[in-house]
Order: sequence, then structure tokens, then C-alpha cells
Amino acid sequence: MSLMASKRARRRLTKGFVYIFLVMASAIVIFPYLWMALSSFKPIEEFFTYPLQWFTKNWTLAQYAGVLEDPKFLASLWNSLLVSSIVTALSLILSIPAAYGLTRLRAPGGKSVLVGILSSQFFPPMIFFVPFYIILSQFRLLNTIPGLVFAYLSVTLPICTWMVATTFRNIPRELEEAARVDGCGDIKTIFEVVLRMSLPGILTAGLFAFVLAWQEYIFALLYTTTTAAQTAPVLLFYYLGQHQIDYGRLMAAAVLLSLPVIFPFAFMQRYFRQGRGEGSIKG
Amino acid sequence: MKGRTKFIKGYLFATPLLVVLAVAVLFPALYNLGIAFSEYNAASNSWRFAGLQNFAKLWNSPLFWNSFKVTLLWVVGNVFLQLVIGLAVALALNSILWFRGPFTGILLIPWISSFVVVAILFIWIYDPQMGVLNDILLRMGLIEKPVAWLASPQLAQASLIVANTWKFFPLVMITLLAGLQDVSPELVEATQVDGANWLGTFRMVIFPTILPSISTGVLLSTIWAYNSFTLPIVMTGGGPLRATEIFGLHIFKLAFDAFDFGAAAAASLVLFIQIMIVIVLYLKVVERD
Repeated sequence: MSLMASKRARRRLTKGFVYIFLVMASAIVIFPYLWMALSSFKPIEEFFTYPLQWFTKNWTLAQYAGVLEDPKFLASLWNSLLVSSIVTALSLILSIPAAYGLTRLRAPGGKSVLVGILSSQFFPPMIFFVPFYIILSQFRLLNTIPGLVFAYLSVTLPICTWMVATTFRNIPRELEEAARVDGCGDIKTIFEVVLRMSLPGILTAGLFAFVLAWQEYIFALLYTTTTAAQTAPVLLFYYLGQHQIDYGRLMAAAVLLSLPVIFPFAFMQRYFRQGRGEGSIKG
Repeated sequence: MKGRTKFIKGYLFATPLLVVLAVAVLFPALYNLGIAFSEYNAASNSWRFAGLQNFAKLWNSPLFWNSFKVTLLWVVGNVFLQLVIGLAVALALNSILWFRGPFTGILLIPWISSFVVVAILFIWIYDPQMGVLNDILLRMGLIEKPVAWLASPQLAQASLIVANTWKFFPLVMITLLAGLQDVSPELVEATQVDGANWLGTFRMVIFPTILPSISTGVLLSTIWAYNSFTLPIVMTGGGPLRATEIFGLHIFKLAFDAFDFGAAAAASLVLFIQIMIVIVLYLKVVERD
């Protein structure tokens, strides 16, 4: 009997250690963001005090004001929003009918085509560095929003199509057949049954495309050298490149850049937690 | 006849997507292949076939071999760290019921974070004077004077790997967590009744069951490590002394600093081939099971 009791006590102790471990891991994960947020409200003089002042007594919004008064930053935010919205819309417009055709209409070989499309996201972005540059410059699309949209579609389309197709595959076929018996054509079936049933999945795919485009940095750095189409992540890079790095402003800008991603994330994490995100490796 | 219409209709719906993918993915990839075997003539603004000349240039370039070595170290370091941490966290998450959702949600944050923001956060944390890492270590008495994490050739690579692991361990974690759902509780119980301790249970029951997930996790983190770009270019730019110049940065510099498009395309193919080899190895392992 005492053996049972000691066993239970030991199990409880192990549980305790597991929770302590998870709390520590979560703390390490959250800490950089916490530190960024704390820093963004500090007056700039306190950045240089030694030893570091973790919690300021003089909370200030000066860093945010500085960023939001910078027309270059505002323009870059607008560019980011524009590019991300266009890319999201195009990704959904192209991937929904394709996923429908390849899964619901049971196109022969549809599964292989989908796997082929998905596998293109394993391609290193570096194989596109030079060809994209040449193509974009040939069509005079360097430093333009359409140029960026073109490059981003190569990133968002494969994953979007895969996510939408996964959702479509889970719709019971009987529902669709019932709609057909009721006399719905393809288009009507798409709108009445398939889209309505898979709205959460489509929304997730759209948010994912938006977040990918919002955070995209490599192609934006390569193909926007002027401010005309520069997106916010690239502008942050230039803030960093200044002779004297203005960390206060950088932190405030980074907070502003991260905010729009928090809400989609709260929605999307359900999808990833179900382990369905395995095919979606773009971070 | 019916099969034929089905074929046509299914692909009719897919045509717009397939056309865009052909233009935006397939064509550039093939174009890149062509450039890798060509030489650009600036005078006539034209390309001519150059055989393996670009590859020979890489073969003879010490910078290429440096980047080859740096990349290998980068991949091994990242995959190892991400696997160890991802596995530990996944096992912990799997053994609790209370708050499993919230913990998982929090631990997924780095994965969804923007690369540039992560890079900036870590530059700021690693900063020798104003960085909080040195501050913490000094307060704890673990170091005596501030350490230049990113400016020393010996430490820069390790510091980058830690930052990159912070960003990517959730991917391995979530993959392994999915695999752990297949572990049979009855089997674990039976092994424990037979007197096996925790390590024995892990070795005999859990590990064999999650081996496919581990392979998948290793594959994903390997591909991601090979494809890295943003963290190193923002945090170190490949320096100091090219100690962190992984393939991505070397290709970038070949293309846009030296404007040697041919060599850049050739180097990107070498990278591509390495990734293909990893994928083939993975498929071999998975098929054997």
C-alpha cells in the first residue's frame, strides 16, 4: 500500500517537473517579444543606462510617434497591405476552382498533380533569385507592386491549393450529390455546398497566404531597391542599416509589424494543432 | 466517354492555376537551369552555352567551399538542436492534460513570427552593450565582461543557430506531437508493469512508434536549414570573416554583388541537388519501414 502511495507521489512529482519545464519553455518563447514590447515604450536615453533598466518608470509613446510620423514607414505599410491583399485574393481565386477540379470532380491523376504542386514549396528560393530578376527587369516590373505579386504567388499558390484541397476532400460526397440531384450545376454546387461547407478551411488558407505575403522578405529585398514598392519588412532592414541603429524606433516598428499577424494566428493555430499543418511547412 | 469529359472538366477548373504556376514557378526554375550552363555576354546582351564552366568556377573557388562547409555545419547544428528541443517539448506536452492547448499555442508563436522581426529581436538581445543576454549573464555572474555574440567568428554561427532554432523548433514539436498520438497507452502501461523505467519505455515503445514522425521532422528542418536566408543576412550579413556565409547568402552575393548570374544559378543548382538527395534518403527510410 505504501508502495502505491510512493508511486503516486513520484508520478505527481514528475508531473510537477513537466509543468515547470513547459513554463520555462514558454517563458523563453515569449521573452523576446516581451522584451521588444518593454523596450518600445522606453525613452531612448534609458537604452544606454548600465546595468540595463528592465522596467522603465517613464513610459512613453515617443518611439511609436516617431515611426508613425515617418512617411516612408507609412508608405511601406501601405505597400505591404496592398501586396498581401492582392496576393491573398489571387491565391484564393486561382486555388479554389483548381482544388475543386482536382479533388471533387475526381480528375484522373489529380492527387499526383496536387503532390507535384505542393512539392514545389521545397524548392530553395535561391533558384528563383536570378530568373525572377531577369524576368521582372525584362517586363519593367522591378520596384513595382505587380512584380512583387508575381514573385509572391510562387510562394503562396502551392500551399494555398494544398490547404483548400485538404478541406474539400473532407466534405461528404453525399451532400454534393444531393445538390446535383436538386439540379445544381457545377458553379452552383461550388457556391451552395462546397464553399459553404469548407469556409473555415478556405479562410485559414487565405489568412495563411496573407501572413506569408505580409512577412515575405527575400523577394522584397531583392526586387524593390527604391521606396516605390518597398514593403515594411524591407524598410526595417534599412532602419537597421543606418549608421547609428535607432533601436527604439526599430522595436516600435517591429511591434506594429507583428500586430496584424497575432489575430490570424489565434484563428490558425487550431488548424495546426490538429496536426493537419504537416504539409504546410512554410513558416 | 464519360471518363473523358470528367478528365476535361476537372482540368478545365485547374487550368488557370496550372498556367500561373507554369509561368511563375516552372518556367523560372527551367530558366535558372539554362543560366547555370550559360555565360552572359554584356556587350551583346545575350547568353551563350558555356557547358560546365560555371560549375568549374565554383569548384575552384575557396569562397564556395567555405560556404559549403558553413552550410553543412549550419544544417547539422540546426537539425540536431531542433530535434532535441522539439522532442523534449513534444513529450512534455503529450504527458499533460491541463493547459495542453494554451501551452501548445504559446510554443507555436515563434513559427508564425516574421523572419525579419525575429532577426531584429535577436540582434537586439545579442547586442554587446545594450543586449539583455549579456545583462542576464553578467547579473548571474556567468560571464565577467560583455560577449560580442555576433561579431566573433567563433560565436556568430552558434548564436545564429540558437536564434534559428528558436524560430523553427515548433515545426518539429508539432510534427512529433502528431506522431505521439499513435503511441498506444496500453503498450506503455504493459511495459511499465514489466518493470521498465521511463527510458526503457521510451526506447522500446515510444521511439519505434514515432520514428516516422522523427524522420519527417528531420526532413523538414533539414530543408528549412538549407533554404535559410533572412536570419543570417539580417543578423550578420554572412560575416564576420564569412563565418556565417551559408549557401543562400553566397548565392545572393554572387548574383547581386558580383553580378555573376551564371555562377549564382549554378550554385543554386548545387543547393537544389543537396536538398533532392536529402528527400531521396528520406523516401528510402520511410519506404523501408
